[in-house]
Amino acid sequence: MSCNTSVTHLDVSSRGRVEQAPVHLMPCEIEYSGAAQVSQYFTATTKDRKQEKTVSFRGRGLKGQEISCPQGYTGLVLKEVNKPGSDQEDRTVRISSMFNKLTYWNLETPPTSDDTVVMAMDWPEVAEAIHGPIED
Amino acid sequence: MELSPFEADNSVSCRLASQVPDVCRTEDCCLGVDEAGRGPVLGPMVYGICFCPVSKKEELKDLKVADSKTLTEAERENLFQKLDEAKSFVGWALNILSPNVISTSMLQRTKYNLNALSHDTAIGLIQFALDSGVQLKEVYVDTVGPAEKYEEKLSHLFPGIEVTVRPKADSLFPVVSAASICAKVARDRVVENWKFTEDLGEVDTDYGSGYPNDPKTKAWLLKYLDPVFGYPQFVRFSWSTAQTLMDSKAVAVCWDDDEEDGERAAKRQNNRSMLSFFSAPAGGDKSHQTHHFFTERRLRSLNSL
Repeated sequence: MSCNTSVTHLDVSSRGRVEQAPVHLMPCEIEYSGAAQVSQYFTATTKDRKQEKTVSFRGRGLKGQEISCPQGYTGLVLKEVNKPGSDQEDRTVRISSMFNKLTYWNLETPPTSDDTVVMAMDWPEVAEAIHGPIED
Repeated sequence: MELSPFEADNSVSCRLASQVPDVCRTEDCCLGVDEAGRGPVLGPMVYGICFCPVSKKEELKDLKVADSKTLTEAERENLFQKLDEAKSFVGWALNILSPNVISTSMLQRTKYNLNALSHDTAIGLIQFALDSGVQLKEVYVDTVGPAEKYEEKLSHLFPGIEVTVRPKADSLFPVVSAASICAKVARDRVVENWKFTEDLGEVDTDYGSGYPNDPKTKAWLLKYLDPVFGYPQFVRFSWSTAQTLMDSKAVAVCWDDDEEDGERAAKRQNNRSMLSFFSAPAGGDKSHQTHHFFTERRLRSLNSL
């Protein structure tokens, strides 16, 4: 980790134009970044039951559920405009899509309120309690 | 044979059964168990049972049922027709194990191997016959794994029934041949009419026998490999043929329960390079520990992308 003085700019000018995109949080690391046939392979085979969604990925059984972004928050998928040549240069990312909900998947275990990502959504409320203005 | 209950959702297993002949509820019966499609990398594995009164064994033999593997598809269809015509004293039941179930079972965190899956399916079908009121006295099974151990297991589970487990039982006992015909006919029909849940448009159905060494199967597996998703659910991901092709032609996917080889595991565990011990400690104040509120939520503050 070097001492990094570069600044990352978030270009929000496209926020009115970008589409809401379905987002899946997978319980595995896919060593790939780019377009994928999600709707053809994944969405088409996903089963939506009362308590949970089920699907399989690479022959492994997944169970998941949809969760919403915390109130007042919006999910952004960011894309870097031009990769900088060195870590001294400033960077610019723009919004490629937005989401207000996402589907997270567990490997074989049914989704519960103890799942990491569900608990992570507690933070905005806790942060507000700790750092927010004190009202009498 | 009405396969629509399976075809309505081919990602899960499905049991299909004929009517139980009245005579099977009143007379002592024999039952055969066999499977079809154990080896192929494509499609379901089908378990079949067939049963008839012990007194009708000769009549079953006269139908000239034989080991399904020695017959052509047309001959099997023809024999299944004959079995169906003999429904006054012959009954059958099938369990179609979806390839998706085979993949996800064999690749489960706590592995559920094919032999265990096979045994449990066979046991489930015998129990189904008992629950349907079939007066079982003799059961004949084509073995999976060591015959003696399997026979002991089944005899213990079904006291009062004479269980015979043999390798190649389908060529020794007509009632097992009959079960193998039912299973093979179902497997062939399912594979031939496989409805892809994936949105793949027109799929080339020239996939050959489904056995890994069949050139047509190999060609099909190459053609329908997706770099991210691998294969449609029609393929058994747990087969080494499929794994090998994905390892070489699809992107790598890592799961937290992967058994990794040394180099890769070291890389993923972020093993520090020797040099790092000689440089200044990164991140400054080491006494600062993140509260478990954040670690258990995997929350980190982000200062660069």
